[in-house]
Parts: sequence; C-alpha cells; structure tokens
Amino acid sequence: MAEIKLANITKRWGSFVGVQSFDLTIEDKEFLVLLGPSGCGKTTTMRMIAGLEDPTEGEIHIGDRVVNDLDPKDRDVAMVFQSYGLYPNMDVYENIRFPLKVRKVEGDHDAMVRRAAEMVELTEFLHRKPAALSGGQRQRVALARAIVRQPQVFLMDEPLSNLDAKLRVSTRAQLKNLSHELQVTTIYVTHDQIEAMTLADRVVVMEKGIVQQVGTPTEIYDNPANTFVASFIGSPAMNLMEGQIEGGVFRCDHVEIGGLDTAHSGPAILGFRAEDAAVAPDGAGQITAPIYSLELLGDAVMVTVRTGGALVAVKADKDYRANIGDPVSFSVPASICHLFDQGSGERLAR
Amino acid sequence: MSQAKVFQASTGLKVTVAVFLLFWLVVAAFPLFWVLVMSFKLPVDAFSASPLAVITGPETLAEKGGISILDMLLGAVAFYLVYQAVSHWTRGVAERVGFGFTPIGWILGSLIMGAAGLFVFVIILPIVTGAVNWAFGLIPGLSLLAQPVIGITLDHYIAVWFENEFYRNFLNSMTVTAGVVLISLTVGTLAGYGLARTPSSLAFWLLIMALIFRALPHSVLVTGYLPPFINSREILEPFLGDAAPTLYGQPLAVIVVLVSINQPFTIWMLRSFFQNIPAELDEAARVDGCGHFEAFWRVIMPVMWPGVITTGLFSFLLAYNDYLVTALLLDAQNQTMVPAITQYFNRETTTTDQVEAVAAAVSITAPLFLLVMVFQRQIVSGLTAGAVKG
Repeated sequence: MAEIKLANITKRWGSFVGVQSFDLTIEDKEFLVLLGPSGCGKTTTMRMIAGLEDPTEGEIHIGDRVVNDLDPKDRDVAMVFQSYGLYPNMDVYENIRFPLKVRKVEGDHDAMVRRAAEMVELTEFLHRKPAALSGGQRQRVALARAIVRQPQVFLMDEPLSNLDAKLRVSTRAQLKNLSHELQVTTIYVTHDQIEAMTLADRVVVMEKGIVQQVGTPTEIYDNPANTFVASFIGSPAMNLMEGQIEGGVFRCDHVEIGGLDTAHSGPAILGFRAEDAAVAPDGAGQITAPIYSLELLGDAVMVTVRTGGALVAVKADKDYRANIGDPVSFSVPASICHLFDQGSGERLAR
Repeated sequence: MSQAKVFQASTGLKVTVAVFLLFWLVVAAFPLFWVLVMSFKLPVDAFSASPLAVITGPETLAEKGGISILDMLLGAVAFYLVYQAVSHWTRGVAERVGFGFTPIGWILGSLIMGAAGLFVFVIILPIVTGAVNWAFGLIPGLSLLAQPVIGITLDHYIAVWFENEFYRNFLNSMTVTAGVVLISLTVGTLAGYGLARTPSSLAFWLLIMALIFRALPHSVLVTGYLPPFINSREILEPFLGDAAPTLYGQPLAVIVVLVSINQPFTIWMLRSFFQNIPAELDEAARVDGCGHFEAFWRVIMPVMWPGVITTGLFSFLLAYNDYLVTALLLDAQNQTMVPAITQYFNRETTTTDQVEAVAAAVSITAPLFLLVMVFQRQIVSGLTAGAVKG
C-alpha cells in the first residue's frame, strides 16, 4: 500500500523524447489507467516505475522512498506483462511461487500459492506447464504471480491485449473485482479506451510523450481538454467540425448552431457526441445535409452526413430508416457542444 | 498412412529418392563399415584381394576363432536395447544424479550410461552368448547356428590400447576436449547473453570482430601461438622464476588455442539462442525479485539447455576432431588421439601397423556414437530452435 509520486520525469533516447515532464501523484489504493495510442510513452512511464528503464530526469517516489536508484526487485512492485512473461520450464504452481521463493518470503508458501490460484480460478491447472494453457489461463497465471506476494504496487502492461474479444470482457470484469478486493495501488497501461473507462479511478491520456489530460473517466468523457482527447475517447469518436464563430453562432457547410455561450469569434472547432444529438423531424435541426451512410447497430442506427471535409455521425432511434442521399436534419443544441481552438486544439474557455 | 492423393509422390520420384538415398548411404557409411570390419581381422584377411574374405576372415577364423550367427543376432539385439535405453533413460538418470544441478547431472548421467553400455557388451553379452551357443550346440539340427562362421580377433585393439598406450592419448583427448567445452560454454553463455541483451552499439563491433577471428585459417592462429609456446620458459621466467613452464607439449596449454579458435563461433551461436528467449522473461524475473545474475541463472539458463547442449556438442567435436593444432603444439609423447593415428604411418609401416591404425580409428569413433545417442533429442530440439548452424 503506497502512494506513488512522479516528479517531473522525462525519458529521452538521444533526441527522441519518450516521455516529457510527467508530473503526477497517484494516491494509495488508486486504480490509475495510462491511456494513449501506441508509442505515446505510457509503457515507458510504467517501465520507469518498475525500474526496467531509468528516467533521464525527475524523481520517482514509492511510499516515502525515492526509488530512482533501486533495482526492480527492491521496489516492492509486481508486474503483469503484455505477453505474460511466464517461465516456460516451470509449471503453474512453480510460476506463482517463484516470487516467494526468490525473495525467501516467510510463511506457508503452499497456502499462499493456493489462495492466489483460487482468486483467479486456476486451482485445477496448478501442475500444468504454461505451454499447455490457453491465453486466458496464462493471463491469469501472470495475475496470480503478481498478487501472491501482496506488493505495494501492481503494474499491468496491456494485460488483456492478447486475449480475444469475448475473453477480454470477462477478464476485465474479473480484474475490476480483483482490484476492489485487494485494495492495492494499481497502474494499468492500455490503448483501449473502454478498458480505461471501465477500470479506472482516474485516467491519464497521453500522446507523443505528453500528458493530455488527467481526470476521472466521466470528466475525460464529458469535458475533454482538447481535440485529441475528444477524438480518442468514446466510440464512435466525438464529431469534430471546423468552422467560424461569430456572435455565438457556429457556421460551416450545412451547419448553423446558435446560442453558443462563448466570447470567441473567428475560426474554431465544434465537437459533439453522436449519442447526445438526435435526428430532427422536418429539417428543423441545426445540421441539414444528404445522408452519406446508414449503419444498423442493433440498439441504434448510426446516421452519417458529410459537412465540409468531416463526417458527422448521429445515433438515431433503432427503427429509423432512410435511403442514402435522402436529406436529413440533426438537432444539435448548444448545450451538448464542445468548442476547441482551431490552431492548438485546446478547449476554448466559456 | 492415409494421405491426400495430390500430396503423394509419383512412383518415379519415389524411385529416384530411394536410389539417391542408397547411393548416399553407400558413399557415407561404407568406409566406416569397412574400417570396422577390417579392424577385427588379421592383416592377411584385412588386406585380402577378395572382399568376401575381408568380411568373413577365413584365416582369422582358423587362427583366432570367431563368432557364430547366434552371436551376431544376440549382439544386434543387445545393441538395439542399449541404444533404446541410452536414448530414453539418460535424461531420467541425469535428473536423479545431478544433485539438482543440470550440467553435472548430464555429465554423470552420460558416464553412467556409457559404463552401463560397456558392462553389457563386455561382461553380460559374452556370458549370454556363451551359454546360448553351448545350449544350441547340444541340439543336433541347430548346432550349425552355434558354429563360429566369421573370424574375429581383438588382438589389434589390445595392441593399440595397451601395448601402444593409446589410453594416454585418450586421456589427453579427454583433458583437451573437456577443457575446451567447459571454457567455451562458460564464456560463451555469459558473453552471448550479454550481447543478446545489451542496447549498446559496441556489441555489434564485438560480434564483427569475433566473425573476423572465426574467418581466420586455424594455421594462422597456431603459427602465432607456436613461437611463444616454445619459448614460454624464457618469456615467463621474469614473472614466475623457476616455476615457469614450457607450454609446448602441454595438453592444458593447447586448450587455450582451441578455445580461441572456437570461442567466436560459440558466442555467435549462443547469442542467437538467447535472442530467441523473450526479454520479458528477464524483466519478469527481475520484478519478481531476482538480481541480474540470478535472473540469468534461475530463469534464462533452464530454458537455454537445448542451445547450450547443441553448442557444447559442436565445441566437443571441434576439440575432439582437431588435428592441426594438437599435432603442431604437442610432442609425440603427449599427443591426443587424432594426431596419434599418424604414428602408425611411416616408412616402415607394416600391414599389422595399418590394421592397428584402423583399430585406433574405430576406437576414436566409438565415443562420438555414444555422445550422439545420449544427446540426440536435445540436439534435434536445439537445431530446430532456429539457431545458427555450425
């Protein structure tokens, strides 16, 4: 159990910047998710906390210790790797026991191994080699190996990315339950925004080594700090349109949204989420254009139009039917709109 | 085997393959077979103009006795059983006698299996064949099976091993080979692991340098080593005083030269084996509580055994089969087995000498067979693991 403090850590390889001035305090027992596209520096950040990479600058505190110069084994962390990192020559039991054995942990190893195996439902596979297990089972062995020792910090590097879609959902639920049960500070790296939304207490969105936004899943979803976060979080991504604002009215091709609460005037980006808007009857909406495509999702119908250069999608009722090319009108009230600066992509102040 | 028709080879192709395999078998195996047959015959038979006489050995049969058809059958059965036992049980024996330490287990295990095999052939087989021959000899119709039909004599082997003291050459060979394998593998695994894992660009240049040394002809290295070896007493005297040794003629000193020839290759080969082991394993071990060396020893090495055994075998063969280095750096009293054979060939060579040379050649080959039998599985799994092949 420990608080982790990252004080301005930076990682550079030559002139390439992996992580730029990462500054964050992770509270005790918090479940923090590092989210971003591949190459954004999230895994590097985690590896620096684990001690597998040295930060170029900055300090890492775990609990009340500065751990910059400590070996991974002395940091009291446990890590789950993307491709599991199981020891192929040992059976499941020996794999789970390995951290206890190496660290010469006091106590009844057998009971500890069995308890950890029970938590991840592996009891019947204890004497199999990793090669004889399925992907999901291997993943659970890696988890059991991490929890058997009750470390101060869990680090999980895309633990679900090698599983198939269905297994990912059930393992995700299992992980959520496990983290609730264990109450250990956890840092979780993923590029999957749904994992981030479902698991996290707080999410850190990163791009190109720079932190874009830190906040609870709701904050990040409802109030994205810039266009990157807006387009990265949510499925489908937030609709973003480039246009001009004058006197609180946003205009571009086929679009006229009035009543915006902003003093800004000039070029801007307007964004709204597909599920917040609706199809308006009789061309009474703020966006009116011919239908570009119509996708049946089962619980809804995704209606897409083309405005200027961008595609704008809106979720319509599941019974909605129309033909491609038919005119359609979307009702996009000012209250669901997000405004961003066109140059920097930063959110515009109200 | 039921196989889809399209995958079945045509008759013409099958015949071609069979003919080619047969041709290859004759070219590769016939000399070995011939040498083996010759080594058990008196010179009169061994150099007989009739090939049949070489095989049956009528003179040897008349003078020294021979073996019956029953003996041959029993011998073949014994060989098959020993082969099966060795290839199946060595791993189990190695695990039991190794005190939890794999390399010692394999060395002791191979020695035990070798001794057991020798025991079967030298002690048990003669007793059994003697009894069976005697029993069949009493049955009127079958007594022909118990009659000696092929002449065989062990005279040449006795002469080679005891009169010519070939066992000394054998011991020298073992010293040199064991030293080369041990040092090559120790340095090779450590260096190969380091080079496989380091992010440094220096590793590239080290490997290129190793490649260059590997490319040098062996005689270049030997020529470089020879003068200091001969003069080592004078060179070392200022440092060691009267204890300064003459390195020329010392089997232990030859190890150094053979290692320097062999090391680049073992480093390259072991490095490629280590590269096949994901770095995540090291990292997992280090987070789980291992130091750098502990991660290497407890997690990486247990996965590496096929690679180590394969590389070890190539090192063994290099040292065991070496002629040039050992012939030039060792004097006649201290030779290893391979150059020692040449002692039999000189201007006064008699036919007896030649057959003894043949017996010595067979003696050199026998341990290699045992080695391949013991390690065949590991060698195959090592070779198929995508390694650089020697």
